[in-house]
Amino acid sequence: MPFVPFCGYCYSLVLLAGVIRRNLQTAICALLLAATFACTATNHSPPDGPVTRILTDDLGRTVSLPVKVDRVISLAPNLTEIVFAVGGGSQLVGRTSYCDFPPEVKSVAEVGDTIHPSLEKMISLKPQVVLVSTASQLEVFTQQLQNQNIAVFVTDPHDLEGVFRTIQQIGNMLGRREQAAILEQTLRYRTNAIEQALKQKQPVRVFYQLSAEPLYTAGHDAFVTDLMRRAGAISVTAEVPGAWPKYSSESALAAKPEAIILPTGGSMGAANATVTEALRQSPAVLQGRVYKINDDHLVRPGPRAIDGLEEMAHALHPDAFQ
Amino acid sequence: MPAAVRQNRVTLRKTVVSCAMLAAALLLAIVFMSLVGSESLPVRASLCALASFGNSTCGLTPDQFDILFQIRFPRILLAAAVGGSLATAGAGYQAILRNPLAEPYLLGISNGAAVGTMIALVFFGANEWIRPLLAFAGALLATFAVYRLARGRAGATPDRLILAGVIVTTFLSSVIIFVTTLMDATRIRSFTFWLLGDLSGMSRGILPVTIVIAVAGALALTLHARSLNLLMLGERDAFDLGVEVSRVRVVVFVVASLLVGSSVAASGSVGYVGLVVPHLARLSLGSDNRISIPAAALGGAVFVIVADTLARTVIAPRELPVGAITALIGAPLFIYLLKRA
Repeated sequence: MPFVPFCGYCYSLVLLAGVIRRNLQTAICALLLAATFACTATNHSPPDGPVTRILTDDLGRTVSLPVKVDRVISLAPNLTEIVFAVGGGSQLVGRTSYCDFPPEVKSVAEVGDTIHPSLEKMISLKPQVVLVSTASQLEVFTQQLQNQNIAVFVTDPHDLEGVFRTIQQIGNMLGRREQAAILEQTLRYRTNAIEQALKQKQPVRVFYQLSAEPLYTAGHDAFVTDLMRRAGAISVTAEVPGAWPKYSSESALAAKPEAIILPTGGSMGAANATVTEALRQSPAVLQGRVYKINDDHLVRPGPRAIDGLEEMAHALHPDAFQ
Repeated sequence: MPAAVRQNRVTLRKTVVSCAMLAAALLLAIVFMSLVGSESLPVRASLCALASFGNSTCGLTPDQFDILFQIRFPRILLAAAVGGSLATAGAGYQAILRNPLAEPYLLGISNGAAVGTMIALVFFGANEWIRPLLAFAGALLATFAVYRLARGRAGATPDRLILAGVIVTTFLSSVIIFVTTLMDATRIRSFTFWLLGDLSGMSRGILPVTIVIAVAGALALTLHARSLNLLMLGERDAFDLGVEVSRVRVVVFVVASLLVGSSVAASGSVGYVGLVVPHLARLSLGSDNRISIPAAALGGAVFVIVADTLARTVIAPRELPVGAITALIGAPLFIYLLKRA
């Protein structure tokens, strides 16, 4: 049930009460719940003047924000997806050219790409907070944005737990804590279902080919390395330092991967659809275990990462889901 | 026996001896660098397999055999071809422009070839023949641009040439940045790596082309070495001595551009090879182009093989771009030569 503040909420409560009148206990529960939400709702609109609150971001910076945040710019596709998934699409006033999901995002103003967003454009959109996913973007414009009273909030998830935390943070920030909680529960439920199904399965040794020429893979710090582990796979490059290392062809061949994952078909388009020459004779290719997975589901630490998790798990362990 | 003929014989003998020694060094580099890599292979079995030209596995497992012959060996051959091409081109530019600082990378000619390669990639996809062709066209255009810019009323002075090179380099760099901005994000990373010079991402089809051009180019420039020697006296004097100055100039520019184009199309801009190697050749063997050009070709091959071996082993199993290694060695030497000049 979507949450509507104040009177909209009252109407739905009346309806709800009508339906469950016969069951007193449930009715009391519902009333208590309603009271809690009503409290939250009142807190969100203080009687006099703007009141700020302090949030802590992933870099441990304290960020001061207005209590009611309704103008946000997202500088990363995964953060844009999270904003929409917690129902905050109407609060998003700016996005990067890489933010292409959900389709409604097209009507939100573009501020440039992830690395070179236009400061002027961002300031003209009068956001209260700018969501940033990498620290490297930070130094350049934090100062300039702060001079304009625009906060910068960094959130950089490196694993699924990080994604859940980011969902909570953004839900909290946008006053959509309930939707965020529901979203997190659903995603956790789906994750658990996959992990339960794969409990007895022997992990498959996988090579993740980010690009063939030159050969790039996912290293220790990559989000997708955690995702592969949960999908019943062991990345043969899981211990290589860094997130996206350039990898030696001969080491890839010597690792003898049992399966190869090709992130392709999403933002990558038709790129990266073929296995690198060095691995053409690997066990994975000989046994036909090369899986193309939508790259947007694997490299964006957002809600759709669970789709990527399910797609990888089904591809690697089809017998576990019959 | 006239003195000139005797002199020629001495030169010929010196050429043959030094080239034989460098060829032996090249062979050793190819064999021994094949034994080094991020995966360790059994030395004795690898040597035995190499000696049989891949006809016998000598007890290597199929994987080890593939690592040796499908991955490492072709890459080393490519390194040799690229190194030989760039060093030969450098020696050619230095002779025809009468400037010890002339070098494909510093003059912006590599950048011209890079722009050509990028255009080929953006508009023609991965077609393996259009890439070197457009790279050659780009290198040739950049060569003539630098040459026209550098020729003032007082001739092409060293300062003017370097200045022209800086202008062409920075202009073409901004073209490259412009094109990468238009490309999608997923391809930018591989491009920046490639721009620094990288031998890992090569496709098999390009290797024979690169080797043929390297050998043919080195031979062509060596055959013009006598004219280049005379040209070092000055264009007017060379003309008086019977050198067809403009024909030689066109030949050298075209051959050098072809060498730079094919190596950039295969491996990006590997810098400083064309500077370091011809200088070392001249320092050790004298400035006679009949010796220094073939010596530079062979020495360049050895230099890039060694640099690339470092690139693929220093932080194994991760890799560095070979251009970073050649620049680390080349830039300090460049400074040293500038100070001496």
